[in-house]
Amino acid sequence: MSSESSKKRKPKVIRSDGAPAEGKRNRSDTEQEGKYYSEEAEVDLRDPGRDYELYKYTCQELQRLMAEIQDLKSRGGKDVAVEIEDRRIQSCVHFMTLKKLNRLAHIRLKKGRDQTHEAKQKVDAYHLQLQNLLYEVMHLQKEITKCLEFKSKHEEIDLVSLEEFYKEAPPDISKAEVTMGDPHQQTLARLDWELEQRKRLAEKYRECLSNKEKILKEIEVKKEYLSSLQPRLNSIMQASLPVQEYLFMPFDQAHKQYETARHLPPPLYVLFVQATAYGQACDKTLSVAIEGSVDEAKALFKPPEDSQDDESDSDAEEEQTTKRRRPTLGVQLDDKRKEMLKRHPLSVMLDLKCKDDSVLHLTFYYLMNLNIMTVKAKVTTATELITPISAGDLLSPDSVLSCLYPGDHGKKTPNPANQYQFDKVGILTLRDYVLDLGHPYLWVQKLGGLHFPKEQPQHTVIADHSLSASHMETTMKLLKTRVQSRLALHKQFASLEHGIVPVTSDCQYLFPAKVVSRLVKWVTIAHEDYMELHFTKDIVEAGLAEDTNLYYMALVERGTAKLQAAVVLNPGYSSIPPIFQLCLNWKGEKTNSNDDNIRAMESEVNVCYKELCGPRPSHQLLTNQLQRLCVLLDVYLETESHDDSVEGPKEFPQEKMCLRLFRGPSRMKPFKYNHPQGISPGKKNSES
Amino acid sequence: MERAVPHAVPLGQMEVFQALQRLHMTIFSQSVSPCGKFLAAGNNYGQIAIFSLSAALSSEAKEESKKPVVTFQAHDGPVYSMVSTDRHLLSAGDGEVKAWLWAEILKKGCKELWRRQPPYRTSLEVPEINALLLVPKENSLILAGGDCQLHTMDLETGTFTRALRGHTDYVHCLALRERSPEVLSGGEDGAVRLWDLRTAKEVQTIEVYKHEECSRPHNGRWISCLATDSDWMVCGGGPALTLWHLRSSTPTTIFPIRVPQKHVTFYQDLILSAGQGRCVNQWQLSGELKAQVPGSSPGLLSLSLNQQPAAPECKVLTAAGNSSRVDVFTNLGYRAFSLSF
Repeated sequence: MSSESSKKRKPKVIRSDGAPAEGKRNRSDTEQEGKYYSEEAEVDLRDPGRDYELYKYTCQELQRLMAEIQDLKSRGGKDVAVEIEDRRIQSCVHFMTLKKLNRLAHIRLKKGRDQTHEAKQKVDAYHLQLQNLLYEVMHLQKEITKCLEFKSKHEEIDLVSLEEFYKEAPPDISKAEVTMGDPHQQTLARLDWELEQRKRLAEKYRECLSNKEKILKEIEVKKEYLSSLQPRLNSIMQASLPVQEYLFMPFDQAHKQYETARHLPPPLYVLFVQATAYGQACDKTLSVAIEGSVDEAKALFKPPEDSQDDESDSDAEEEQTTKRRRPTLGVQLDDKRKEMLKRHPLSVMLDLKCKDDSVLHLTFYYLMNLNIMTVKAKVTTATELITPISAGDLLSPDSVLSCLYPGDHGKKTPNPANQYQFDKVGILTLRDYVLDLGHPYLWVQKLGGLHFPKEQPQHTVIADHSLSASHMETTMKLLKTRVQSRLALHKQFASLEHGIVPVTSDCQYLFPAKVVSRLVKWVTIAHEDYMELHFTKDIVEAGLAEDTNLYYMALVERGTAKLQAAVVLNPGYSSIPPIFQLCLNWKGEKTNSNDDNIRAMESEVNVCYKELCGPRPSHQLLTNQLQRLCVLLDVYLETESHDDSVEGPKEFPQEKMCLRLFRGPSRMKPFKYNHPQGISPGKKNSES
Repeated sequence: MERAVPHAVPLGQMEVFQALQRLHMTIFSQSVSPCGKFLAAGNNYGQIAIFSLSAALSSEAKEESKKPVVTFQAHDGPVYSMVSTDRHLLSAGDGEVKAWLWAEILKKGCKELWRRQPPYRTSLEVPEINALLLVPKENSLILAGGDCQLHTMDLETGTFTRALRGHTDYVHCLALRERSPEVLSGGEDGAVRLWDLRTAKEVQTIEVYKHEECSRPHNGRWISCLATDSDWMVCGGGPALTLWHLRSSTPTTIFPIRVPQKHVTFYQDLILSAGQGRCVNQWQLSGELKAQVPGSSPGLLSLSLNQQPAAPECKVLTAAGNSSRVDVFTNLGYRAFSLSF
């Protein structure tokens, strides 16, 4: 730096040209005394344009001088050296000037840079300020929108409409002249009016409350009066009882029953109402009664806190018992099962009287926890029946109502929800309990208005009373026919066991006068035994041998021929016919698989049963079928072709008149019997 | 209030009745349609069911295709015999023969085209018609059955032209000799009679039961099945199934089967027979049992070979009898499946 400054200093001293430089030099000279000469300050004073002019001029001068030197040198001569020297000095001066100008330019550049920097900083500052301002603006705008969006509470209030307001509000609130133009004032006024109205309503409410209290008090007084009336009425009723009895008007009894009916669970109540209604309207032989303890039923509807207590108690107890009775878990499960299968203490009794004075007693129960109804049936007859051994199952409560509707054997719960309940307490199926509880037949549920979804989709869904009512009539009729057909069977079985096939006089025309084959045995057999018989395979395979059916074995004999008949009796007898399967022991064993005629005999009793039904309600079907079987056996034996090679007379001489012994490709024997023509192998000749 | 009538009661009754009906059904007769794609089967309730063989035999056959396409009540009594002409299905039962148009038979409510009753002499009962036989050369139909006669009926005019009398008991079966216009008939009286259609005279009688080698007195005399091929005749029934040489009237082969046979037919160099027992029997002419193919019915009454050239893919043997099923044999070796009523 010091070297530079010394360098700078030197040309200042030497400088001698230019008028503007003159004046400056003077000033700078004076400045030089006191302080250091500053070229920076000088830059400010000089005009850059003129510096540029100076620079151009200096360069021209230099060029000219160089050219002159060149010129001189090329000319050569002695005086030339002086002139050259002179010129050199002049050019040196010019170089000085150039150097000066260069320095100045540098300083100017630096200065310019500084200025730019300064300006830039200023701009930055301004920019920052601008941003701050913008942010502030944005914030303010947000505030404004928030304000604009603000919802006042009064907007939610459902004010009376404007017209109504001006019509009804007093002028001191509405102030029509102010509020008409100013919506704000208008709203305020309307709010005022609202407040006013609410105040009035509150006042009214209070009044009403006090009024209510007053009326309540009045009611109390009247109630007291009424309750004091009850004992008096009771005493009057009591007094009137003998009169009622005397006049045969069981009002009181019916009344009592209705009173009790109030405590019935809904399904039993529906049943009770519908059965009573049906009994009164259509069927005088139906009587309805309620059994069981009303107090117990009432106890079921005790206030809930009691039961809650009980529950918590029992919970605690349960804990204890589990601790105490851990080894006897089975007992506890048993209790739970009992609880689940608990019946409602009340039950509905239906007594259905049939024509012959026999009565079907039905007791309907309601299983509270399973929400299903069950029925127990009992048949009593007017005269004491001698029970044949084979009729054991006919009237037993377990089977008398089985399959009243097809497939409804009453051994499965109709409520699908029950299965889950059973799983919890380990009941496999309800079947094991039906003897005790009664059978949950589907029709029982329907009579009680209970409707459960079936496994198959159903078209119609009827609920409650209408469901019960819609099934009442058909079910009652079915029940009656069932009991009657069972009783008829019961009687028939008694004589069947004695080897007599009872044919009533109105069915006599179905059979020839002389029937030689005799029924010798009629016994009941088990389902399993039936399944194991070798000649019943077809029926088993066709799915007609269900375990709900009753099974019998008949033995028809004539001479050495023995015809076994295995009989399937559907519970739906007599609308569903009994099915016979035959096995003839005569000259070898003959069944439907090896003898077409045995097959034809089966077909005659099983398929052509309709002509054997006899007069309605066709209770004679079974006995007629058996009689027909005897006739068929006669025909079979009598028409058996005589073997010429065997000596001696035929065992069974032909007694019945028939035109032909065989007919058709399968050589059918003349099994058809047409009254009065006699036996014919085919159809009656209607043309002749 | 609308009463919900519990329709379930009659339904259960119906189901049981239908099951019993099926269980006691006997299919007496079968006939293949002229197109070879349909099979008609007639049962003891007088119903005729039409099965589609082509559908049941096709590769995408379902259970339904083994059920009848249509079933209709054709007769009051059983349908004992059926034959097919080019256009008609002829069915015969008690006393009457009815004709149905094959072209319309698949439509619902098909009515018979015509019905004819042969002139019967007795008025006490209507004799059944056990056998029908077409005589293509004469365009006539021979009916035989309960009245011990053979009636010939002109198919053109529908009139009964001749009655061939000679049998002393009812006629079971008929067979046509292809070359000469001769008909064989076998009956309950145990005789096979050969009739000349030109003269309407009986030309030959073979009383099978009188030949000791084939007589089986404990079974009876009746001849229930007949088949013929050139000079040969095979017949069976009460007597043993026997192959006869017609010109010399001598039994040549006695087939060793105990149970009575109900249907017999020649097939290529074999004889097929069926009767009591579940099997279709295949015999060599020498009397050797070639095969016994079990079917599903406990007893068979009819065999039908579908040899219609129009439907080679339906070339099957069908067998029906004491059940509601028609067994279908696609080859002679085993039962492929059963069509069911």
